[in-house]
Amino acid sequence: MSTSAFNPVISDNPVTPAHTLGAIYYDGLSSRQQAVTLRIAQGQLEVQGDELLRVIPLADVNISAKLGRTPRLLHFKDGGHCEVSNHTDFGVLMQAAGIHEKSLLSTLESNWRYALAATVFTICFVIAAFYWGLPWVAAVAAERVPASVALRIDEHFLDAVDDDLMQPSKLSTKRQQALSKRFDSLRNVQGEVAHKLVYRNSKAIGANAFALPGGTILITDQLVKLAGHDEEILAVLAHELGHVHERHSLRQLLQSSVVGLAMTWYLGDISTLLAAAPTLLLETRYSRNFERRADSYAATMLSANNISPSRLADMLEKLESSHADGDKDMEEQSSSITEFISTHPDTAKRIRALRGKE
Amino acid sequence: MQNQEQRFKFTGNGTEYFGIWMVNLLLSILTLGIYSAWAKVRRMQYFYRNTWLNDASFDYHGTAIAILKGRIIAIVLFASYSIFLQFMPAVGLTIALLIALIMPYLLVISFRFRLYNSSYRGLRFGFTGSIKGAYFAFLALPFFTLLTLYLLAPFTHQRIKAYQHSNSRFGQSAFSFHAGAGGFYMIYLFTLLQLLLIAGLFAFGGYTLARDSIASLSREAIVGIVVAAYFLLILASLLVVPFFMSRIQNLVWNHTQLGEHHFSSTLSARGLAWIIFTNFFLIIFTMGLYKPFADIRIARYRVEHMALLPAGNIEEFIASEQQKIGATGTETAEMFDVDIGF
Ligand SMILES: [Zn+2]
Repeated sequence: MSTSAFNPVISDNPVTPAHTLGAIYYDGLSSRQQAVTLRIAQGQLEVQGDELLRVIPLADVNISAKLGRTPRLLHFKDGGHCEVSNHTDFGVLMQAAGIHEKSLLSTLESNWRYALAATVFTICFVIAAFYWGLPWVAAVAAERVPASVALRIDEHFLDAVDDDLMQPSKLSTKRQQALSKRFDSLRNVQGEVAHKLVYRNSKAIGANAFALPGGTILITDQLVKLAGHDEEILAVLAHELGHVHERHSLRQLLQSSVVGLAMTWYLGDISTLLAAAPTLLLETRYSRNFERRADSYAATMLSANNISPSRLADMLEKLESSHADGDKDMEEQSSSITEFISTHPDTAKRIRALRGKE
Repeated sequence: MQNQEQRFKFTGNGTEYFGIWMVNLLLSILTLGIYSAWAKVRRMQYFYRNTWLNDASFDYHGTAIAILKGRIIAIVLFASYSIFLQFMPAVGLTIALLIALIMPYLLVISFRFRLYNSSYRGLRFGFTGSIKGAYFAFLALPFFTLLTLYLLAPFTHQRIKAYQHSNSRFGQSAFSFHAGAGGFYMIYLFTLLQLLLIAGLFAFGGYTLARDSIASLSREAIVGIVVAAYFLLILASLLVVPFFMSRIQNLVWNHTQLGEHHFSSTLSARGLAWIIFTNFFLIIFTMGLYKPFADIRIARYRVEHMALLPAGNIEEFIASEQQKIGATGTETAEMFDVDIGF
């Protein structure tokens, strides 16, 4: 339906002289409609109706921006306004008066080529923001998160998984202390990194290790048992320390939160996102880049302490086969919550890279 | 004398709105959400100016800065609540309590903003509800509703609508609201019956499955059944929600008057359900690109099922004193919009 159907003035006036235009006038004091003719002369707008003649300087007229095919509105300072439904005639009047209307917004909105370009651009922009913008922003933001806040996230995470997914470690205190002591005694040429080792028993997760945002490194009894040599455990811990050093966990958490926030923004529920934060940490799968950097961090650290980086490669192989050997249910469960090892082809590449560092 | 009914018309167009929506979205993303306030002005103007009654359209006058201020306040409030609740529950709950305490005040501000910035035939609408009334309708009554285990819910709903509608005006003419709580109780009752029926069907289906075959089913099949049940639940809500929405809107508008003029609203639950249902799936299948078309469809359906039943000349409304002072009156200067869906 054309909007001009609502404007009786235009159809009543087949011989509209050039540069005049039918409109409807409202005085802003009552709901009365008055049919008027608009004319622009010498910088003044003339509004003429049966019982009405107003002459208003153009400078005092506020012309609404074009918006689809909705009527154009001319607002006057005293609250009165005119509605014009005929866009073509309005354009002619404006042109005749020497007013050049250039509304970038309306041009963008009304041309399907621009709309299509905007669609494509928006999609590309979202993808680019996701792949490059977001990791960069997360890295910058992670640097600014106070250590105390990051530590609270660790506590929160442990509270959430303890009892449910994880139980207290069954390793003897002596063994735990020996491992921690040995790891802390390693020289770290890449600078000291604040961290804390915790041990947990977890049948559900199996052999695994996690670096949490606040610097807590969690290692499962199952991983300790799987290792054939203590140096293999140290290699895994060095890899996790690499994640802590570069704040990978926090960065990943921030990235996932932003993505989640953007999604829930549309659906409108923030609370579900925050409630999911602990599980988000568990389900985190680092990007290949993060794993590569943590591997190389570990390799440097191990070499400096006369431990072969191939220890880490050995451990990766063992973890891969242990996760593949587990029964089917177990595998399904662990594949979604595996951090240290992901059963994807990249592992083979990582192993080769580590062996090459010997 | 009862004049002929005047139907509301909607002239918005999906293709045309798509361009506006896409540019709004793009600029909002590029400006990290700041443009969204300007986008809202443009969106509201598009819908208002395409809504017609008796050969005249409505208009929206909200300013983007006021909307932006309101949004910042709302985001700060809810973000601080969500974050503190996660890491310092005591502080989070205190903030939640504070939000609940100022919510009625924010609602009054947002009603005032929305109505004062709406106009028809050059006359502004307005809202004159008192803050005290808002605290009763939006804080005290919902609190009692909780205490009575929701038995008071329909009554509260009626009081809220009465507060909103009987405190609205157009120019100097006041709206009035005449629906009693009985009508609300009937709608709630029928909605509850539908929900019980659906729950019963689910329970029966689950019971049959459990009795016959659960042991013999593979894990995949059980997952499949759970997914199917979830899907059915969405379908059910797509049927019950339109019923509730359409009945409430009809009840409210059929009992609202503007001076001596009446309104009529004839939404059908089935018509609304069909639109919501098809919109839902089309939005999913087009990954959101159908959204502007969906918005237009639902607006058209809602607008075109409304009519004004004039009791006399509708050319005789006059502007309120406030409007005569001018749009830059002192009250508007301190007004801002708070985005609260209601
Ligand atoms: Zn790793």
